[in-house]
Amino acid sequence: MTIAGFIVRNALRNKRRFLLSVSSVAMSLFLLVTLQVALRELTNPINDEGSTLRIIVRNKVSLAQPLPARQLPTIERIPGVAAITPFSYYGGLYKGDEKFTSFAQFAVDPARALDLLSDARVPPEQMQAWIADRTSAIVGKMTADRYGLKVGDRMPFTGQIYPCDLEFKIAGIYQGTADDRNVMFHQKYLDEALGDPGTVGTWWVKASSVEEAPLVTERINKAFANTSAEVRAETERAFQLGFVSMWANIKILIGGISMVVVFALLLVTVSTMSMAIRERFRELAVLKALGFRRRELFAFILAESFGLATLGAFFGAGGAWLLYRTLDMPKLTGGMFVVFEVTPQMLALAFTIAAVLGLLSAVAPMIGVARTSVVQGLKTLD
Amino acid sequence: MSLPNIVTIRELSKEYRQGEINVVALNNISLDIAQGEFLTLMGPSGSGKSTLLHIIAGIDRPTKGVCRVQDIDVTKLNESRLADWRNQNVGFVFQTFNLIPVLTAFENVELPLLLTRLSGKRRREQVNTALELVGLAERSRHLPRQLSGGQEQRVAIARALVTDPKLIVADEPTGNLDSGSAQEVLSILQLLSRQIGKTVIMVTHDPKAAAFGSRSIHLEKGELTN
Amino acid sequence: MALPLRYSFRNVLIRWRSTFATVLGIALVVFVFVLLQSLAAGIEKSSGNTGDSRNIMIVRKGSTAESASLISRENLREIQYFEEIARNERNEPLISADVLVLVSLPRIDGSGEANVLLRGISARGVELRPQVQLVAGRWFTPGKREIVVSSRMAKRFANFSLGQSFKAGTASLTVVGWLDGGGSAFDSECWMDADECRSLFERDLYSSFLARPVDEAAGAKLLARIEADRRFKLKAEKEVAYYQKQTMTAAPIKWLGGFLAIMMSVGAVFAAMNTMYASIGARTREIGTLRVLGFRRRSVVAALLIEGALLALIGGVAGCAIAYLWNGYTTATMGFETFSEIVFEFTVTPRLMGEGLIFAVIVGLMGSFLPSVRASRLPVINALKSV
Repeated sequence: MTIAGFIVRNALRNKRRFLLSVSSVAMSLFLLVTLQVALRELTNPINDEGSTLRIIVRNKVSLAQPLPARQLPTIERIPGVAAITPFSYYGGLYKGDEKFTSFAQFAVDPARALDLLSDARVPPEQMQAWIADRTSAIVGKMTADRYGLKVGDRMPFTGQIYPCDLEFKIAGIYQGTADDRNVMFHQKYLDEALGDPGTVGTWWVKASSVEEAPLVTERINKAFANTSAEVRAETERAFQLGFVSMWANIKILIGGISMVVVFALLLVTVSTMSMAIRERFRELAVLKALGFRRRELFAFILAESFGLATLGAFFGAGGAWLLYRTLDMPKLTGGMFVVFEVTPQMLALAFTIAAVLGLLSAVAPMIGVARTSVVQGLKTLD
Repeated sequence: MSLPNIVTIRELSKEYRQGEINVVALNNISLDIAQGEFLTLMGPSGSGKSTLLHIIAGIDRPTKGVCRVQDIDVTKLNESRLADWRNQNVGFVFQTFNLIPVLTAFENVELPLLLTRLSGKRRREQVNTALELVGLAERSRHLPRQLSGGQEQRVAIARALVTDPKLIVADEPTGNLDSGSAQEVLSILQLLSRQIGKTVIMVTHDPKAAAFGSRSIHLEKGELTN
Repeated sequence: MALPLRYSFRNVLIRWRSTFATVLGIALVVFVFVLLQSLAAGIEKSSGNTGDSRNIMIVRKGSTAESASLISRENLREIQYFEEIARNERNEPLISADVLVLVSLPRIDGSGEANVLLRGISARGVELRPQVQLVAGRWFTPGKREIVVSSRMAKRFANFSLGQSFKAGTASLTVVGWLDGGGSAFDSECWMDADECRSLFERDLYSSFLARPVDEAAGAKLLARIEADRRFKLKAEKEVAYYQKQTMTAAPIKWLGGFLAIMMSVGAVFAAMNTMYASIGARTREIGTLRVLGFRRRSVVAALLIEGALLALIGGVAGCAIAYLWNGYTTATMGFETFSEIVFEFTVTPRLMGEGLIFAVIVGLMGSFLPSVRASRLPVINALKSV
């Protein structure tokens, strides 16, 4: 029998308590990790290389306010602008969806948009087909897979924001962007359905270089200052973060709950693990009498409580990691959550918390062992 | 004057398995106990004396044989009947007192009465009588931790008495007491038998304690000797 | 016959040190549950509280929200002369055409911008919404770039004090008054003259009409008439019904609250079980004694279950009490229907607290069930012999 074996057998003496302790740690860490994953998914903007060059230009009033189409040539001429396309969020309800559709549809100018969709991979013939047919659209692979769509299929939408219902013919399927869910169609098609109002939702602009990008936003803002449609141009990242800041309260809420969970977890596990060790005072006293030094007894206690906590972290955090890899989250949550992955940082956090837990729950028993003399320990019959 | 037998035991045996070994705790015991006796069961540890006591008191079952207490064969009663029977007919005194820590002396003594249909007033009367008999009426509101070992055991005796049972059964009642308290407790048990007419059966390994009894029997390896 | 309640009660008290952590754990679980549900309740209360039961709201068919609906002036011209619509003392039809605009405005704490819902409304629109009261200043003058903001929004956004101005689009709007929506969705709005609004934000179309029918019967007829007429492509329903359906923001919060509570409570049940196993385990001899005295197994189990339930109940009460501290606290979030900031209060209702307590008791019972049954099953002798 080795020391390690002895520790393990000791820990497993009361199998039920062992199981319960590990389970409550596992459960709480699982919950903690899940909360963090959800938070990350909801608030972190999707990042890709192209986004550092891209700029969103919206009406200064609000995102809901349209921009005049005549602004395009002005922006095009601004130094540092490499490409520009209209970019209007259509926000329709897909046939079959009841309350909301989890993927977005955008009206663009396909020929111009090519430059901005640099990450997207589309077979060239599909791209050409898209440009040629005004009523067509390209669909992100994730959405296509989810609804079992292929080139040639039709997608009908009910207008939610715009008073027109549109139907698109799928000309191509794209993939390779950070968000392969969207539908891109012709701005002209939308204009026709609305009776040519001469407006667009926003402008999507590409700067010629990373250094130029902030300068370009300034120039665009200046170009329309004091006109009837003042704009706010921001880098794509800043724009997304702005969106996210509207969620400020939710972040605080989830953050707060996570803290509560951790605290509750700490409390309960520390006390139950301490309870477990208190029972074995006599045993520890016997070990002391046999000649084991305090140091070694501390090591026993620490090893057991660390082991318990780490096992809990393994099952809880590790279980979450495994679960979310195997589950088809987009399907389960109706598209609300797409990525839902457990990052290494989250796992590290979980194991750190487990370590702290292990440490804290060993404190009280260790103090007890240090204080109690062998005789007193042996006396604890009750 | 010969009083009728209150306990009749015939060919009582108890065997059980401990791992791979078959342990014979009691081997064909036959015994009569008369009403009002103060019987002491003696013998070395492992002799089966506690087992015999437990069977008589209805908290263990024999493998073979008969044990009648006042015409009721306790070996044939089912769990719930046995529980009721114990409540009415047996009073227990344990070596480790076994008082309920969160209840006062009064409440501890009252416990067995809660299983009867007596009114609150009647219960109070009986509890007070029992406490007075053991001399602890002034401590009725104390919790067990506020009492000395001897006092605790006396409360336990009061509890054993309160339903007015025929049998008082005591398993090493003085094992955890100093000699002074032990004397007190044994005197009370003796009084219960001689003056009140209760039948007291006591397990002990201490001959000085056994001297308080009216009769002594010895067990060794599950069999009656002498 | 049962063991006295005071047995369970006193055991809970006497073991408070070792059970403290579990009680606190349960308190926290109940707290989270009640708090989240009170958030959802607050949102629902404010939307459920909105609207006058007499009014009928008309939006474009197929739009899920007022702010996304677009209806034309021609529609207004026709509908306003329907006989089902009541008239005021000046014989004007009681129908108001509103324009809803989303404006991105800076927060008062400098933490960025948020979308605010601006309602371009007519004098009759104000009349149709008696629930909304002016609490400071005065109403806007038609034809002027004046605005009345919600008093609750005034605390959250820059330049919303009386007399201040803020930029929306190319023009400056001056705050001339504060309104109070009476704990409804209108507490998240700012009102200005409809025509000014339309010209400022270049809106040809209206967002919605609000009409007061002559009576209930006329209201029903109006609803049917609008639904039936294919030219209009409009949807009509009672104003209160429209607002009650705006559950999109509260729903995920409720779901989250329920989900979290269940997950946390599984952990809490494990913890409670652990605690009860330890606490009951230390009393094996005591339990054996009770059975020797004649108490049945089920009495013992019952007493132990009560103990577990009491323990959890104490935690539940504590959790509810802490949650109640948040009652009435005003907060805001982005509403999913309008994509604008909605203000509401945490609403800790007695019903929610009741649910929290029941929840706690169930956790306690589940946690003590196995330990209690196990303890009572032990043969009496073994119980007596244990250390």
